[in-house]
Amino acid sequence: MARAAHATGEVLLSLENISLRFGGVKALTDISFDIRKGEIRAIIGPNGAGKSSMLNCINGFYHPQEGRITYKGVTRRQMRPHQAAEQGIARTFQNIALFKGMSTLDNIMTGRNLRMKTGLLAQALHWGPAQREENEHRAFVERIIDFLEIQHIRKVPVGRLPYGLQKRVELGRALAAEPELLLLDEPMAGMNLEEKQDMCRFVLDVNDQFGTTICLIEHDMGVVMDISDRVVVLDYGKKIGDGTPDEVKASPDVIAAYLGTSH
Amino acid sequence: MLYREAGQFKTSYSADQAIFPILQDRLFVIALIVLAFLAPVALAAAAPGLAQYLFTEILIPFLVFSLAAVGLNILVGYCGQVSLGTGGFMAVGAYAAYNLWLRVPLVNDLIIVFLFGGLMAAAVGILFGLPSLRIKGFYLAVATLAAQFFLDWIVARVKWLTNYSSSGSVAVGNLTVLGIPIDTPMARYLVILAVVVVLTLVAKNLVRGHIGRSWMAIRDMDIAAEIIGFRPLRTKLLAFAVSSFYVGVAGAMYGFLRLGAWEPLAFDINRSFAILFMVIIGGLGSILGSFLGAAFIVLTPIMLNQLPGWLGLHMSTALISHLEFMIFGVMIVFFLIVEPHGLARLWAIAKEKLRLWPFPH
Repeated sequence: MARAAHATGEVLLSLENISLRFGGVKALTDISFDIRKGEIRAIIGPNGAGKSSMLNCINGFYHPQEGRITYKGVTRRQMRPHQAAEQGIARTFQNIALFKGMSTLDNIMTGRNLRMKTGLLAQALHWGPAQREENEHRAFVERIIDFLEIQHIRKVPVGRLPYGLQKRVELGRALAAEPELLLLDEPMAGMNLEEKQDMCRFVLDVNDQFGTTICLIEHDMGVVMDISDRVVVLDYGKKIGDGTPDEVKASPDVIAAYLGTSH
Repeated sequence: MLYREAGQFKTSYSADQAIFPILQDRLFVIALIVLAFLAPVALAAAAPGLAQYLFTEILIPFLVFSLAAVGLNILVGYCGQVSLGTGGFMAVGAYAAYNLWLRVPLVNDLIIVFLFGGLMAAAVGILFGLPSLRIKGFYLAVATLAAQFFLDWIVARVKWLTNYSSSGSVAVGNLTVLGIPIDTPMARYLVILAVVVVLTLVAKNLVRGHIGRSWMAIRDMDIAAEIIGFRPLRTKLLAFAVSSFYVGVAGAMYGFLRLGAWEPLAFDINRSFAILFMVIIGGLGSILGSFLGAAFIVLTPIMLNQLPGWLGLHMSTALISHLEFMIFGVMIVFFLIVEPHGLARLWAIAKEKLRLWPFPH
């Protein structure tokens, strides 16, 4: 596998025996897997398998009842989402969660929020430190805008953009946080072939150029098998497969989950 | 448009992020502010009677309510937290300012008095903003309505606040700014104008920077905002504080410089609704819209009231005031149907069209 070459093998995030329940509904049952530094890790599974719940656990939005999450060597049980953001975990959402009333530029600038420190008074004057800070971050955001090729929509409110571009802006907002671990929830859902190819290129480039570790959920098997280093397969909240794309493709459990079994 | 912006290239991010990136707009606004300071002074010298009416009935209420609308717009338009407590926060500003002015004779400069009124309103605003972490939308509106009634009740009941006056009304006099007596309508107007210009600039700076983005992020999608690192409670409380500060300063100015003597009724629930209407009609999430909305709500009734006289129609005062209510109501409904995003959006569309005029594309 040429793709896995830059993955160092060091474990960035490990999940051990994660169980998550909503009342009587078991969303996740006893799931363990890890994400290594620099790799592209895919989570796949049929609808309702618990993929998005898994991502929500990783970035602190859901709190699993059982299990341990170790990120960068630190084990945690409970955390607030903004703490995950502070530790370098950024994500995109299945249903685009952009700030619709704001321009593309402002949306991506919000990704820099944890690095912008000037206080109320400096902001009120918009002079000196506040303006300097604004310009520094603007310069960084402009690099992301160039990278994602969205210069032409810089000042357009994102509510007016077509779906594919909105997905790209959302990726931009996540990238603006300079994350170590990037969680992508169905980045290619609902896109046409060309948009999918663009998005694949961006995901691979982010991984290559910035060394960002990526964990993505995707339904398009062609995409998953092409770009990911390792794949974990969930079904009804249980892990039924884990390994390289080729191993997963050959696993009888996975085939059964996707195609059904004969009894 | 009367001018073309072609050829104005920006070479720095600062220039690109300026409030008025186009040179002609910048010049126009500067000219407008200079005119706002100088023209009334000239008018006061030429026609004192007319000037007095213009200041007291039109310009001063317009500016004071514009400031209150800017404040409420920060909370409702930018941060998405509905508030019906504006009148209450204005009362806090007015009575806090009154008590500082009354009880601390050393501090009688109006600017300090107004700042104190604003800060006290901000503190009370933070207190009543606390429920916003848990409740949203209509429910928050109801919670802030409670603030309105509670604050009304406090100023009516706690006699100390109104200096034990029997009717609950208070009066101020001998006002000064930097030692200059503020005793004519023109002087009052100029003080208000200066405060409004400075605070509007501050508001614009806040909403176009990092803090404004945090407010809009919470407004547009609070869960996503939290996940990318914004603290919802801190962000919302800051919006409540800044908004209430503006509203409090507006309340203090309304009491001190417009009314001179007032009672708690001056800041009742109707005031809250009027300012919320200004924000909605002017345009949610627009500083310019706050001014347009205030102009609409303050000026339209005056115009409707005068209209029969100008047309030479003889009507009873009762009929005129009933007509005024009816036409005003119809106009509000009409505007909201034609352009739900308010006068500011109409202005933006007009500008966009004029930019290309006379060409269609």
